[in-house]
Amino acid sequence: MKKLQIIALIFSILFAIIIVQSCKSTSNITESKFGAQLWGENCIRCHNTPSPETFSDTEWDVAVMHMRVRANLTESEAVKIADFLKTAN
Amino acid sequence: MAFGQLYKITKEISNQVNIHKMKNLIILILSFFLILLMNQNVKAQDIQSTDEIQKLKQEIELLSKQNNSYKPGKSQFLLRGYAHSGLQTNNNGFSFVGGSFNPLLIYKQSDRLLFETELEMELVGSAVELGIEYANISYLLSKNITIRAGKMLVPFGIFVPNLHPAWINKFPTAPLGAGHEGILPTNDIGVEIRGGSYLGNLKVNYSFFAVNGGQLNDGMEEPEEAGIIHHGIFPDNNNGKTIGSRIGIFPFSNSSMELGFSAMYGKTGARESDVEDIKALHYAFDISYVKTLSSMSSVLDLKAQYTGVNVSDANYPEHDDPDELYTFDNKSKTWFAQLSLRPALVENPIVRNLEFAIRYSDLLTPEGAEWHVNQSQTDVGINYWFDWRTVVKFSYRIRSGFEGGHSEEPSHGGVEEDGGNSFFIHWAIGF
Repeated sequence: MKKLQIIALIFSILFAIIIVQSCKSTSNITESKFGAQLWGENCIRCHNTPSPETFSDTEWDVAVMHMRVRANLTESEAVKIADFLKTAN
Repeated sequence: MAFGQLYKITKEISNQVNIHKMKNLIILILSFFLILLMNQNVKAQDIQSTDEIQKLKQEIELLSKQNNSYKPGKSQFLLRGYAHSGLQTNNNGFSFVGGSFNPLLIYKQSDRLLFETELEMELVGSAVELGIEYANISYLLSKNITIRAGKMLVPFGIFVPNLHPAWINKFPTAPLGAGHEGILPTNDIGVEIRGGSYLGNLKVNYSFFAVNGGQLNDGMEEPEEAGIIHHGIFPDNNNGKTIGSRIGIFPFSNSSMELGFSAMYGKTGARESDVEDIKALHYAFDISYVKTLSSMSSVLDLKAQYTGVNVSDANYPEHDDPDELYTFDNKSKTWFAQLSLRPALVENPIVRNLEFAIRYSDLLTPEGAEWHVNQSQTDVGINYWFDWRTVVKFSYRIRSGFEGGHSEEPSHGGVEEDGGNSFFIHWAIGF
């Protein structure tokens, strides 16, 4: 039971820290990366990187929003990836 | 004489002057007409140009109207999904096996609101079984926080939420413990807060959720499954909700590695039963590492997950004599490690579409239970990618160890299992 309480405490602290951090502006790392780079780094974590030609601009808007939720992307990352895909398709 | 000559000379000069004047006059008149003519011509051209401009303006207006009629609204709909099928051969024979068709419907209501559902149509015998993998609504509360509610893939570990779709999974089967009847949580109904953020320059993602939770089989009707936690059953069998979380940390700035920690805890026993207070703790550690190896012109992909399940002690009826009770230490664990290598950077178009993969998985369930399993499985495979989401998989599965009464169904979508070694050829397409 003690072990469980410790686990719960650790997760709660991390949760609080993340929520507080989430209110801050975007990280310098994201700001310094281009959409193509973020596309290459994030998509391939689970599946092959999608060809920009797969969808139209409108379809990419929906697909990237879906992936923003699914892959826990930040808003800045999602916007940059969508811009890249729409430019390159 | 002198006057006469003078008169002649004077007249001649006068004539010449008049002729010169006439000439000038004629030139002047001609120039006037010429200018008049040119002016008329310019005017005619101006009129013609104005007409053309008007015509162009009308055409632009028409095209603009037509274009506006095709302009997408804020609400947009997208159909995606995947399908797969193949063949399997083992000691029992050789058969084409039905896969599944999973349409994924995504509806973007606005820039903040998203609804998505994945259906699963699977061939079972001669019938088609229809299921809902998930159906939930997401609200993007801020740049880094999303609230989700509905039926969802439980954000626990990496295989079920991220890797199980057939066009993503490197193998036709799932690792031990991760199938529909495995010990890993699959899908559930509840609410969730999730997102990605940065702790300084350290990227993290998080998920905190409350769901109905798994349900404990008390063994009254199925004594062979006494003590198993069943997932994805509705409605809830008690008022206690299972709460859980997964936190992923990216130690490297290029996001190549993700370390994940998951835990969920809650009541699993049915209300007003002898096992009402029985609770279960699920915990998992996972790692994902994807790296381009320039020296090998390849992409390396490593995935691994360790999962433990601890269920508090309970008494279950004996199989042969339900009046007699027995108990056991209800702890299970399973893990898998998977490595794949794709020479994606070589010039040869055939070689760069190949992918070599190997996976080892292990499952251990409680010794005192009728569903005790102590099994390991090794999968080796070669995949050929036609494009980024269409693949044909050739794989061989080797199983060893003790397989208990609890039937494992590692495949996500219809490959019949007999627990033995099998060879698979499977195609999968994502769309």
